[in-house]
Amino acid sequence: MKKIFYTSIMCIAIIALLPGCLRLDDNLFNANKNKISEYKLDDYTGDTDFRLDGSYKIPTNLVRIVPLISQASGEAAPTKIFGVYIGDVSKIAIDTVIMYCHGNKDHMDFYWPRAQLLANTKSKNHYGVMMVDYRGYGLSEGKPTENGLYADVDAALQWLKSNGLNNNRLVMYGFSLGTAPAVKLTAEPRSLTPSKLMLEAPMASAQAMVQDASGLALAGSFFTNLTIINAELIKKVQQPFFWIHGVDDSFLPINSQGEVVYKNYQGTYKVAYRIPGAGHSNVPNTMGFQNYLKAVGDFIAK
Amino acid sequence: MKNILLASAVCFLCSCAPTRFVKPLAKKQQAVNFSLGGPVIDYKSVPIPMPFITATYGYGIDSSLTGFASLNITSALYGNLQLELGATKQLLKQKGGIPAISINPVLNIIYRKNEARLYPQLDVNAFWDHNNGRSFFYVGLCNWFELQSKRTLDEDQPHHWILTPMIGETLVRKKWNYNIEAKMVAANVSNASVVDYKSLINKHGAFGIYFGVTRKF
Repeated sequence: MKKIFYTSIMCIAIIALLPGCLRLDDNLFNANKNKISEYKLDDYTGDTDFRLDGSYKIPTNLVRIVPLISQASGEAAPTKIFGVYIGDVSKIAIDTVIMYCHGNKDHMDFYWPRAQLLANTKSKNHYGVMMVDYRGYGLSEGKPTENGLYADVDAALQWLKSNGLNNNRLVMYGFSLGTAPAVKLTAEPRSLTPSKLMLEAPMASAQAMVQDASGLALAGSFFTNLTIINAELIKKVQQPFFWIHGVDDSFLPINSQGEVVYKNYQGTYKVAYRIPGAGHSNVPNTMGFQNYLKAVGDFIAK
Repeated sequence: MKNILLASAVCFLCSCAPTRFVKPLAKKQQAVNFSLGGPVIDYKSVPIPMPFITATYGYGIDSSLTGFASLNITSALYGNLQLELGATKQLLKQKGGIPAISINPVLNIIYRKNEARLYPQLDVNAFWDHNNGRSFFYVGLCNWFELQSKRTLDEDQPHHWILTPMIGETLVRKKWNYNIEAKMVAANVSNASVVDYKSLINKHGAFGIYFGVTRKF
């Protein structure tokens, strides 16, 4: 009897003294749930949030897979990642380019319809669109990390800059997880300073996500070392700001996530689209693709 | 992001265990309990209860009052010291079909480095002995209280009272008790979040199921 009792107490004590190696940081990333061996883009038959009809198709000569080298601060070696540029590379020096930072799922094939849709803003290929697979996503090497997100998007910006893009013609667009690098690199620019910021279904912070899930005002540090805090960084953004969010988003709820980011923006101009009936992943199709493109186009052209 | 590990850590925190001692231990009796279970979430399209693990030690202070302390082992794996310190007090004895009544005042403590939170909890339980005392059935209301007025980013904390109704059955043996409990965790709180909770009431709460085994000394 005593043996069982003391064994139990000992087990509890040992567990209590464990260093606590589990963290949620890696769980932010949901890369390559559906693995790919090559980028198929239009020919990808796996899951996507929505599909576009043929009228949105981009001519293949205006789609280029771009290998990039990314190195986050403190890393000993660079990481090879991949991006895709939609548009005429030779005209980057004169075009406006949307830097599209995708969400946390799978890879660029999954998000291809979203990037393709943006490439139809105003008219087909009116704006260039750049998308990048963060490290660990798609064919990009390495393992996803928060610092890696920022470095990888900046690697894409470096490539755009090397092809002639300047600050005035760069529009930063982030969706879901992609709102973290979008806000970070707008608030604290590295290679280029975006002229406008667009966020779709942004998270307010890693801690806000923990608190939504727990229902309590828990410290984020109980479970994660992530420092994503869009709702604070947005205070540094002076560029015009576009925010769009599904009213029925059950993943990053509009009130506890997007509204907080929108409210904290203190810059020169902001516009909000709260889309009734839309959840986290279906804002463009719930809104209607043409309505969505009009909202995006109007903001960029303003 | 709807990931099992994420869920295992931050699922409604008040959902991590079944009710500790619905019925007090005998005077000077000791018991060690292990429980497993949690809210049901969708994992790869299969609904499963989260595998929260807790360990509890209880001591019968007298025949109607049991003191207990619990350790949340899952939380410990994340480097947090999460403890429950509480007591079970039986207020009324069973009279025929009228159930016995007990309450559990509990203080939940979670600590990591420079961060700590305290959550007072008060459970109210009604239980019925049956099968010649070899089982008891219970229903109850678990009440958690959030003391923080603000959540992160200086936003108002929307919930200060988190209500969890539960129902359970305990098989009582000479040295061992076996327990199963179902809860509607945080039934008054929206379940919209990165965790894909399964609920019986649509957009609120999470359905939870728990198993426990108790060794008595």
